[in-house]
Amino acid sequence: MTPLASIASAVLSVTPWRLERRLEVDARRAALTRIGGAVGAMIVVGILLLLTGRNAFWIFWQALDAVFGRQRGIEGVALRAIPILMTALGVALSLRMKVWNIGSDGQFLMGALAAVGVGIHLDGPGWLVLILMAVAATLAGAAWILVPALARAYWDVNEIITTLLLNFVALQLVTWSALGFWRDKAAAVIQSTREVPFTLPGIPGANSVTIALLVPLVIAAILWWVFRSTTIGYEIDTIGGNPRAAGFAGIAVRRRILVVMLFTGAIAGLGGMLQLSAPGAQAMNAGFSAQFGLSGFIVAALAGAAFWGVIGGGLFIASMFYAGIVLQTKGLSVYIIFAIYGVILTGIALGEIAARYRVVRREAADESEATAGEEAAAPQGAGS
Amino acid sequence: MILAIIENAFLSLIGSAIPASAVVMLAATGAMLGERVGVLNLGQEGLIGIGAVYSVIAVLSWGVESPWLAMLIGMIAAAVAGLIFAVCVVAFRASQVLVGLALALGGIGLSNQLGTNRNGTPIQTLFREVNPGGVLDDNDAVSAFFFHDPVVYIAYIGLPVVLWFVLFRTRHGMNMKAVGENPAAADAVGVSVTGWRIFYSVLGAALTGAGGAYMVLSFTPTWSPDIARGRGWVALAVVIFAGWRPGWAVAGALLYGSMISLDTTAQARGWGLPFMGASDLSFFLSMLPYVVTLVAILIPAGAVKLGRRVRSTAAPAALAIPYSREER
Repeated sequence: MTPLASIASAVLSVTPWRLERRLEVDARRAALTRIGGAVGAMIVVGILLLLTGRNAFWIFWQALDAVFGRQRGIEGVALRAIPILMTALGVALSLRMKVWNIGSDGQFLMGALAAVGVGIHLDGPGWLVLILMAVAATLAGAAWILVPALARAYWDVNEIITTLLLNFVALQLVTWSALGFWRDKAAAVIQSTREVPFTLPGIPGANSVTIALLVPLVIAAILWWVFRSTTIGYEIDTIGGNPRAAGFAGIAVRRRILVVMLFTGAIAGLGGMLQLSAPGAQAMNAGFSAQFGLSGFIVAALAGAAFWGVIGGGLFIASMFYAGIVLQTKGLSVYIIFAIYGVILTGIALGEIAARYRVVRREAADESEATAGEEAAAPQGAGS
Repeated sequence: MILAIIENAFLSLIGSAIPASAVVMLAATGAMLGERVGVLNLGQEGLIGIGAVYSVIAVLSWGVESPWLAMLIGMIAAAVAGLIFAVCVVAFRASQVLVGLALALGGIGLSNQLGTNRNGTPIQTLFREVNPGGVLDDNDAVSAFFFHDPVVYIAYIGLPVVLWFVLFRTRHGMNMKAVGENPAAADAVGVSVTGWRIFYSVLGAALTGAGGAYMVLSFTPTWSPDIARGRGWVALAVVIFAGWRPGWAVAGALLYGSMISLDTTAQARGWGLPFMGASDLSFFLSMLPYVVTLVAILIPAGAVKLGRRVRSTAAPAALAIPYSREER
């Protein structure tokens, strides 16, 4: 029993309730405790802000007002939600297989870079160029994860570090393109690549949000269906549960890992093209990805790789992200957002653990004692 | 003649690579310490930032005049962060990957926030280089290996030797490895898995913090945002490359360091290639350290797969797996 649980049992020992370890963890309950962990983390952040002399309530109110008080705010959230949702869907897909793709930022950047390359060099009808840009971005995102995916699938090389190292390479490549080979020589103030002359059509009634917003929703729906109704989805979940058992069951584990990882990269890469095809964002500079991959990772962790959960979590994190941008103009630094992300992620991880325990009445617990046999050893194990 | 030029170039590369990746060396040793007892701390990038910013604060705001004391303060700050991490993942058994990334993010955010008002202020409290008193002057060929700070020698020689001796020549090291390889067995013979894991991940965090402190107290020497610039991730890669063996980490760190100094040398001298101008070459070279590090990780795994016999390069068996007595 963990110290946290030991303390909790000690507190509960004077009441008619006691703490019990669950034999099975219900996915829905785990989702609730993860959200509880995230909310608890935000309360901790609020207290920390209060302790450093900042009025957390005022900041919170300002954030709410900035995000939901006006159309500009809602569109701002939607614009950030697109890249965050795309990277989050990619990460969530890999998490179904217990593979950690930390490189979605790099895949996102490479997708956008490929889209820029196509967009500034091809001449033709806008719709055709946009489709080709999307294809190029998808392929580039997949290509960017190819080496980590091959190494993970066939050489058993841990993917966390390999995918992450490629983020730095991608960032350097983007910087190179913006300052070097695709540099816009007319733009003097911010050094960036030349501008792609095409944008996706806007959503009716919106000023800046395009139909790109529909793409993550469609992908989430497809992934949800694949994992609910197809053999492939079932096989991937089996690999996530126990790769050895999946291998014995005749599933081509290594090939599945390779293909799924390529798909995660492809989704993130397509996200890069979607970001690029919004009005006003048609060129790339070194700051093109405002750490969207990291935000996407947190969304996927919060949602526990449930695809509809990714949509909800993505909108939540995008609101926070946009609120952070607005609050910067009110004297809060961008770095605080990273610190807050860290606390929230810790809260999610702790919430995941909390789902494994439940509080039961003593009488009821005594009856289930026989089934929960392992609990008998709990008092001895309390110090471990 | 040509041989002499190559030898000279190599020595000057190594000479600047050694201080350039002393940070990586310290962080890799810190990460290895935790991983040997089964705790994967992905937060190295954040710990470097925390160690660095608190050393800067110690010097600039608290008036600390000894670089050793400033480094100690940075180490303590990183150790506190490491303790929070360790309590979450060892005591509460939260996911090491999630909390590790949280530490990376939170550490970068916190250190950048604390450093905001101190950007670019030069640090005067510096380590003094070790001068081998008149025996050598710094034009000698072997001078690449001398005239560095004492911290450099501790990082490259002292720590690896001590860690190697403890791990492979003492009973204490046997127990450490047991906690990382087979915690249930270690538990059975009375080694407190929780205690050892928390102790060594905190000690490892302190070493990584020392790496950050070394950056601002000798290498840069000033605070700038995102001070680690990926060195924390490279350190984690170096541990994999080294196969969790302390001595091999030196090779990994120097490999990364020579790529970094290749880039800085090329920029300083305006090198170009027939098909690539000086500025393009410099962009290309700044990607190289990460590409080379990535390839370096693949080498041990590839060697094993291609049938070469490599001694014990596998990760500790219980790495990143929480231990709980009632679940074994």
